[in-house]
Amino acid sequence: MMNNKGFNLHDALFIGFCATLLVALKGMLRLKLGLSGHSMFLMSFFYLICYGAVGKRGAISLCGLLAGMMAMTLGVGKGGPFLLVKFGLPAIAMDICLLLLPSLLALKWRCIILALVGTLAWASKGLIEGLLAGMSTQVVALQFAKSLLFGSFFALLAAMLVPPVLERLRSHDLIDREEI
Amino acid sequence: MWARRGVRAPGVRRAKRHFAVNDTRWCALAILLALGLSSCAFLLPLSWLHYLGLANLLLLIQGRYLGGRLRGLLVIFTSQLAITSLLYLLLHGLERLPEGIIAVCRILMAMIPGWWLSVACSPQRIGEVLSFCLPHKWAFVLTACFGILPYLGQETREIYQMQVMRGANIRLKSLWRPKHWRELIYCVLYPLLIQLLKLSKQMATAARLRQFGRHPKPTHWPY
Amino acid sequence: MALVRLSQIHFNFQTAAQPLFEDLNLTIAPGECHLIHGYTGCGKSTLLKLLLGILERPWEGEREIADGATLGVVMQDPNVQLLRQTLGAEVAFALENLGVASHEMLLQVRSALRRVGLYISLDTPISSLSLGQRYRLMIAAQLVLEPDLLLLDEPWAQLDDQGVQELAAVLTQLRQQGVALLIVEHHQGVFKDLVTHRWQLSQGQLQALSAQEVDTSPEQVCWRESPCWPQGSAVIDSHGFTLAFRERQKLFDAESLLLFPGEIAALVGDNGCGKSTLLKSLAGIQAGIDPLGIKVFGQRPKLGRFGADLALLHQRPSRQLFENTVIEEMQFSLKRYGLPLDRAIALLGQLGLTTLARHSPHTLSYGQQHLIALASLACLRPKLLLLDDPFAGLDAHFTDKIVALLMELSRQGTALVIASHRPIAALPVDRLWRVADGRLETLSASPQAYSRVG
Repeated sequence: MMNNKGFNLHDALFIGFCATLLVALKGMLRLKLGLSGHSMFLMSFFYLICYGAVGKRGAISLCGLLAGMMAMTLGVGKGGPFLLVKFGLPAIAMDICLLLLPSLLALKWRCIILALVGTLAWASKGLIEGLLAGMSTQVVALQFAKSLLFGSFFALLAAMLVPPVLERLRSHDLIDREEI
Repeated sequence: MWARRGVRAPGVRRAKRHFAVNDTRWCALAILLALGLSSCAFLLPLSWLHYLGLANLLLLIQGRYLGGRLRGLLVIFTSQLAITSLLYLLLHGLERLPEGIIAVCRILMAMIPGWWLSVACSPQRIGEVLSFCLPHKWAFVLTACFGILPYLGQETREIYQMQVMRGANIRLKSLWRPKHWRELIYCVLYPLLIQLLKLSKQMATAARLRQFGRHPKPTHWPY
Repeated sequence: MALVRLSQIHFNFQTAAQPLFEDLNLTIAPGECHLIHGYTGCGKSTLLKLLLGILERPWEGEREIADGATLGVVMQDPNVQLLRQTLGAEVAFALENLGVASHEMLLQVRSALRRVGLYISLDTPISSLSLGQRYRLMIAAQLVLEPDLLLLDEPWAQLDDQGVQELAAVLTQLRQQGVALLIVEHHQGVFKDLVTHRWQLSQGQLQALSAQEVDTSPEQVCWRESPCWPQGSAVIDSHGFTLAFRERQKLFDAESLLLFPGEIAALVGDNGCGKSTLLKSLAGIQAGIDPLGIKVFGQRPKLGRFGADLALLHQRPSRQLFENTVIEEMQFSLKRYGLPLDRAIALLGQLGLTTLARHSPHTLSYGQQHLIALASLACLRPKLLLLDDPFAGLDAHFTDKIVALLMELSRQGTALVIASHRPIAALPVDRLWRVADGRLETLSASPQAYSRVG
């Protein structure tokens, strides 16, 4: 079962380093891959790795918020303080979803559902932005659908890759969480 | 307490930086200003938008003067404009096009303050402000994250090069095909994760051995 | 009065067949310096963890520490223990955690830095310090806690001779001030003026070593007796170059560089002199430098240009391991380059590691991982193999295995460049490329070796 005791320093540093790697890779790949939604690949991958490797509730949200702070500080993404929302919102949505997900569900399906929920939250940010900026509902809905479609594709790709990676880490005695 | 090792905000050149924000309190104000201006871009009525546009223009000029590059903003703006205009033309015809253009301008104006913040404020100062808002442990984690950025970059590069030289299909031209992403994950990201797991453990041990978490109210090195 | 006493310690790793410690005893008194030798993986670092009380797995026996005694430690890689970005902040870290008032810190930080001989500005970024300076900085960061016993994990392996000398001077002074020292180190000829007790950790116990039993011969270049005469065209060819990062001070000048198939070149120089940079430049993967004009296989080197013909073993090569089993790890490159897979099996047999073929590479010892990483490159039989500090932290047993593997590759026609901060006495070489005072000096066993004619 999920352990809810506080994060020890080792966990906290690992979460922080995952967030750092996420932001660093995003910064590196941003211009090279101009594909819409590719950031959901990196976000889903690292958030799910945090979930699997740390195995504590709130790990994903902390990773998201730290990634947002790192991105804001380094100017990756050009969103300023809004980057906290961009990285934090999908993470918090995934953590909330975890509260509702049955823990007996196979890890693969848990990852897939979490990745899709994260994408929904990520695409919703664009939806809310568009509506606030005064775009017409149809245009916003179309852009939302596009984000959802591409984002889900990349998020699913990441979600499929996470369980074997976690399994490998565990079988090589590199993590010892019962959760996975 | 906060000084980073050789990390630079992307797009920032180290020229002589007049008017750059170097004080923590001013940096906190700059963050609030950026947050406020970005929010205004969504919330202000149309009649006030000119003033906001003017404020953003000033930010752009100062940011440019400080060595910030506008290319990224321009790319996002033009691609957003092209997609939105196309959708407006298809769905609503020519007469509602200005509405779409204004919306894209609002989104751009929400981004400019963030861009300016990353150019005008040194990452050290932003990190310092964020650390003040965080509990001691997480402030330490954030500092450690900035500290390992150069190491992480070098480690990523070296592991990537090692695997390319071992014959892995992970050169940039191969990565256009998602089927090679699996190889990238296993050859590069997986060993990197192992390094991160080990490094976080070693650093946590090193910090604990130097009394981290011992005192309820740790003090700060004042210089 | 003993500072620390370990009595009848028993410890066993879950997977190991034999206990790591069996009835181990150790007593350390103030002002003593204990040097513990042992082969790679014999439990030297585990012993330090046990002394510090941070060993995660259960052990049996007694560990007594005198009332109020404090222990300080510098682990193997000082880089992972540096938690701050400037010199002053790093030393003050422990004081912050003890809640020492900010205005009282400066005096203590300065005093600690003086004791280790670091007379540089407190704002100095740690990234600008040499490895030797970082090592002494780590000691200063411990000294603010006023430790009674200082533990050091294999300082010789990573420091160059100058770094070791500076460290020895600092340690002598600390010992005179009453600080006890415990150093684990597989090399025996080091810190000999400092040591009061010398131990060999083997078969789970500490056995006293007398000064006569210690091998203190300095590491010297060993020339190959029957040099390999230049055959074929040069693998590495340069008429002279300057190695420098753009907009920064140059690393060194070199007049001419030549290497022919089957030859072994030792690239020797202090930490930070540019050895790794040169190796990476030869592989075409060093960023931030202008083209050097060095030809490798007659071409300008570039990542991926030479395929299986060129291989580079980086420092800490275990980083490249990722497969589920040792045999898959070794066959990874063979599969990608379309080479026969049975080479991996044959090489494992040759190294005496066949029993490990189905093991996970991550559960192996440090020395074994090192060997597997090298073997996975060696089975490609590259025409040029570049190795960056391949003997770091390895004992004579693993060093001999690696030397045998490299000699075999040389006989098969592979040209080898091996970088290290000291000459490797166990490895016979044809050429010596020594970097000192901003110059790369080339020496060779035979005058013919300089000839550009094949």
